[in-house]
Amino acid sequence: MGFNWKSAGCAGIVSLSVAFGATVASAAEIYVPNLSYRTGPFAATGIPLMNGQRDYVAMLNARDGGVGGAKLVFDECETGYNTNKGVECYEKTKSKAVVTQPWSTGITLQVLPRTNVDKIPILAPGYGFSPMSDGEVFAWAFNPPSSYWDGASMILNYISDGDLANLKGKKVALLHLDHPYGKEPIPLIEKLAEENGFEFLPIPVGLKEMQNQSAQWLQIRRERPDYVVMWGWGAMNAGAITEAVKTRYPMDQFVGIWWSGYDGDLKLVGEKGKGYKTISWNVPGSYPVLDEIKQHVVDPGDSLIENPEDMDSIFYQRGVVISMILVEGIKAAQKHFGTAEIDAAQLRWGLENLNITDEVLAELGMAGMTVPFATSCDNHTGHGGGWMLEWDGAAFVPVSEKLSPDRAAIEPLEAAKAAEYAESNAPWPGRSEVPCE
Amino acid sequence: MIFRTAGQYKTSYEADQALFPVKQDFYLVLGILLLGYVVFPLTASEFTFKALLVPVLIYALAALGLNILTGYCGQLSLGTGAFMGVGAYATYKLMTIVPEMNIFAAIFLSGFFSAAVGVAFGLPSLRIKGFYLAIATLAAQFFLVWLFEKWAWLYNYNASGAIEVATSSVFGITVTGPTALPIVQYYCVLIVVTLVTWVAINLTRGRYGRMWKATRDMDIAAELVGIKLMTAKLTAFAVSSYIVGVAGGLLVFFWKGAAEPNLFDIPLSFQILFIAIIGGLGSILGNFLGAILIVALPVILNLIPSTLGIPVDSATLEHLNVMIVGALIIAFLILEPHGLARFYAIIREKFILWPFPY
Repeated sequence: MGFNWKSAGCAGIVSLSVAFGATVASAAEIYVPNLSYRTGPFAATGIPLMNGQRDYVAMLNARDGGVGGAKLVFDECETGYNTNKGVECYEKTKSKAVVTQPWSTGITLQVLPRTNVDKIPILAPGYGFSPMSDGEVFAWAFNPPSSYWDGASMILNYISDGDLANLKGKKVALLHLDHPYGKEPIPLIEKLAEENGFEFLPIPVGLKEMQNQSAQWLQIRRERPDYVVMWGWGAMNAGAITEAVKTRYPMDQFVGIWWSGYDGDLKLVGEKGKGYKTISWNVPGSYPVLDEIKQHVVDPGDSLIENPEDMDSIFYQRGVVISMILVEGIKAAQKHFGTAEIDAAQLRWGLENLNITDEVLAELGMAGMTVPFATSCDNHTGHGGGWMLEWDGAAFVPVSEKLSPDRAAIEPLEAAKAAEYAESNAPWPGRSEVPCE
Repeated sequence: MIFRTAGQYKTSYEADQALFPVKQDFYLVLGILLLGYVVFPLTASEFTFKALLVPVLIYALAALGLNILTGYCGQLSLGTGAFMGVGAYATYKLMTIVPEMNIFAAIFLSGFFSAAVGVAFGLPSLRIKGFYLAIATLAAQFFLVWLFEKWAWLYNYNASGAIEVATSSVFGITVTGPTALPIVQYYCVLIVVTLVTWVAINLTRGRYGRMWKATRDMDIAAELVGIKLMTAKLTAFAVSSYIVGVAGGLLVFFWKGAAEPNLFDIPLSFQILFIAIIGGLGSILGNFLGAILIVALPVILNLIPSTLGIPVDSATLEHLNVMIVGALIIAFLILEPHGLARFYAIIREKFILWPFPY
């Protein structure tokens, strides 16, 4: 049992690193880590998102010297989407961090109960659990501007032309990753299918079959669903889209969630992917904020992107939006508490009192880039809605007005699942320690 | 000098067969236990507990389980990850069906479930050997992970398909769940690991250990001297899977706090197998050394640049890390194919002879 010798060394290194960290902080600084995944099986989709997040913060630091007088110390901790690494990164960053951005559903699952104890807000824009929206139960978790159930509801509303009754007798397949993330919309669609008389067919894609979905598409050919809704991630998206082209599934009946709408995947099929749709809470385009990023970060060579065209990617711009949400939370907290260097508990208040209106977006140079939304004590998502985007052969273009989820159908399910989670993780503190102010 | 064995006479067989026939070994182990039980808890930070000490102990325990099967009995298994999963899911079910149960009772009971599953998948070992057996255990790996995904009863029909750890306490101290202190969880893991390691050392030294080793070295010869191969192989499968199952329970309940089925997929099996091979097959110490190399070293390497103040991009660091650890694994395998434990044994020999090597 000689194992402890080396661990003694590591204990030394750790204490050393803590000592170093303490001496560095002097001017007003806010430490915002990101549990990034630029390596591993999901890196292709992770890199543009991480770059967008990083560059928006870098732009604020370069242009305004940070936010409200405090410099943002943006730090990435690489997880490679691996849950073990996620624990390591969370533990490494939590002592100084004001926020945790876990990215993977697996890491979110592990971190969620601990954030109540460590008092750090989780910011999971557009991912995480849908029931996280219930701020009365998940006091420390935020998933603005739209949850997965919002996304599912908007997709169904769109394909049924606004009235789910139109789907009666039709068949809707859900091609999903067989993973907590992919299973997320099932309870809601099941419920809506039962109420509205359409047939729901979940088709799971295992993590090992992501690149080879011939069995699933054979099933789709046999069952002939009227619509295929996709909840895919990483290599699964490209696999599904190429497979759909190969089996000549009509692209205009194929709709993905926002993580399945990556332009990089569609570029592989180009013209043949025309008609593929995705719901999204950000619209790619050219916005003033991107010019600012280009001027202050990309042109001086401080960005990690390889060429400026990468900034047109829908995922890069989504990364920018995600950092914007975080920074707006910081601003709200700074204003409310009258201090530049806010802590995690104060940021929690800020994220709970976000009010991102069209005017705010215009001021930030992001008018029309994302949906306006507002959060509150019992609403940690904001439910801002989204747009339906369509692949025109070269880029994603919006084809709908702003869509809104059918909240009346979702809310009871959210409350039930939130209560279920609290019960299975009993004793769950809920809001007992953080009263609504 | 320090490691002088001269003058330590044995006057009885019992003394010669004791756990520590050499006095210095006893002091060394005592020192390590002191370090583990007293020094680390006093000095370590929360990060050290969560990212280094606890995972090293748990992975070392899982490798120990595999080592009994592969290192001592010579039966190659690629299903370790899945057997850990059986332990974890069994603990979870026991704890949700009987919430007032003591968590340690649940973990030690869950070992029996994984032992049963291990024996079932070990049955083919009576007819097939080597690579063919590896493929049979690979079947266990795929089947069990598939079962964890599809059998909703296992995860209590949870919408996310993952198992979550509720808070539980022993003697009024919270040991699992988010409110449990890392130091408490560390002690829990350490006590279980110490206990199981102690049992394993004595098992492998005793009658069963000798049976396993005979089976490993030459099964026909073992049969000829009167060893029942069926008993030897199946007990190895049972004991190995039991320990692996306990490690799985610890992994989820005392470290991660939540787990999804694909955690127990084949990469975990390979990781444990690497720990056992690099640490040294047929050794107990090797599992701990291997776990330090495979589990702790990457974490430590990640800390070095920030400690020295070198700005390295986190993704670049990860790439470098993979390259360094990979190179080290190859280097160790070339320098000492019998693993780190053999390395330690050579160093120990040198110390005994020092300063008069021959």
